[in-house]
Amino acid sequence: MRFVDEFRDAELGRAVATEILGAVEPGRHYKLMEVCGGHTHAIYKYGVDDLLPENVELVHGPGCPVCVIPMGRVDDGIAIAREPGVIFTCFGDMLRVPGSDGSLLEAKAAGADVRMVYSPLDALRIAKANPAREVVFFAIGFETTAPSTALTLKRARAEGVRNFSCMCNHVTIVPPLRALLDSPDLRLDGFIGPGHVSTVVGARPFEFIPADYGKPVVIAGFEPLDVLHAIRMLLAQLAEGRRAVENQYTRVVPWEGNVRALEALAEVFELRPHFEWRGLGFISQSGLRLSDAYAELDAERRFAVPGVRVADPKACQCGEVLKGVIKPWECKVFGTACTPERPIGTCMVSSEGACAAYYNFGRFQRGERAAL
Amino acid sequence: MSACRGDHCVTCSDEGIAMRVLRVDAARGLALCAGEDGARSTVEIALVEPVAPGDALLVHAGVALVRLEPAEVGA
Repeated sequence: MRFVDEFRDAELGRAVATEILGAVEPGRHYKLMEVCGGHTHAIYKYGVDDLLPENVELVHGPGCPVCVIPMGRVDDGIAIAREPGVIFTCFGDMLRVPGSDGSLLEAKAAGADVRMVYSPLDALRIAKANPAREVVFFAIGFETTAPSTALTLKRARAEGVRNFSCMCNHVTIVPPLRALLDSPDLRLDGFIGPGHVSTVVGARPFEFIPADYGKPVVIAGFEPLDVLHAIRMLLAQLAEGRRAVENQYTRVVPWEGNVRALEALAEVFELRPHFEWRGLGFISQSGLRLSDAYAELDAERRFAVPGVRVADPKACQCGEVLKGVIKPWECKVFGTACTPERPIGTCMVSSEGACAAYYNFGRFQRGERAAL
Repeated sequence: MSACRGDHCVTCSDEGIAMRVLRVDAARGLALCAGEDGARSTVEIALVEPVAPGDALLVHAGVALVRLEPAEVGA
């Protein structure tokens, strides 16, 4: 199949890996962050890491929305799910994220009507099929997912579906990147930019990274050759002294993004003054909530939620993992107390989470070798 | 419990899947689409309209985000 087989070709991969080897300066250590969880997943699934020279280090960014959801928001969701008459809907991975008193899956086992959906449109269908029940959709995700929620809310209002509402946990990609760049404990040389977020926002929002911080960005696709090619492009910029946003994923990402999607987001959502990210703390203007025009569909205004900030478990080092300060296997509970079956931290829950990717594909030998 | 399609998490903001349009309901802004594995689903097409049967779309969480080159889906 075109654009899949081509981008998984082992021979081509080795050729690009050889180019990468020729592009690195001996004695210089390169730290490149892949922003999104989809890239993390691809890197460890296909062993991209093993093709890189020892002095090219990939750091996993905060681009898995499940991984950055704080425990307090899970507790708020569970509180709504336990309300009499509520059908609580969310994406599958969210079900297993631990709150301070269990997960949504455990709330379901205890009697709450919690249902997994593949899209907010599915949640709206459930609402229309159950007019006597209140159906709440737990919305989560970056700008790629937010248009789906926005269009569903517009549809719910247009069709007069009054028993549907949304608990909005959508986040935006630029503020956490700025927070990471401002973080004193992290030195990065460049970014592998998010491919599908960019189909919505375009490439322009990332221009502050080379302009304000002097770091290159290459927006990349999700096949192994995409990632390798993006690394090659980043190293070329660094070698040539250039700093720019480049688009490796031109076959999918338009430079200007999707204007209609951005208009829908602007109509339905507004920025929260601040939003809490697991491991990163509160970040200004990094989360979305429903705009006043859509207030009647806002679950947080329809139901009482505790809204209490809950500290992460002491043993959990997701924060350091999300900031790229430590590797997943360096966490004290990685693979022992914290596994995909019984996760303590969010990074072990989602298949895009760095810890789950390491655990599932056994890709932690490289780091262990380096530590010996 | 298999929470997501394939081995990916649907929540991930950077996970879209390529699908081909089978039928269009323009009045409702929806299209019936099929993925590479043959699985069918109803997709919101407001962000990429107009579309026609045979078109290839990148779909995330039930919404088409961008039109793809036709050769990107299916052999």
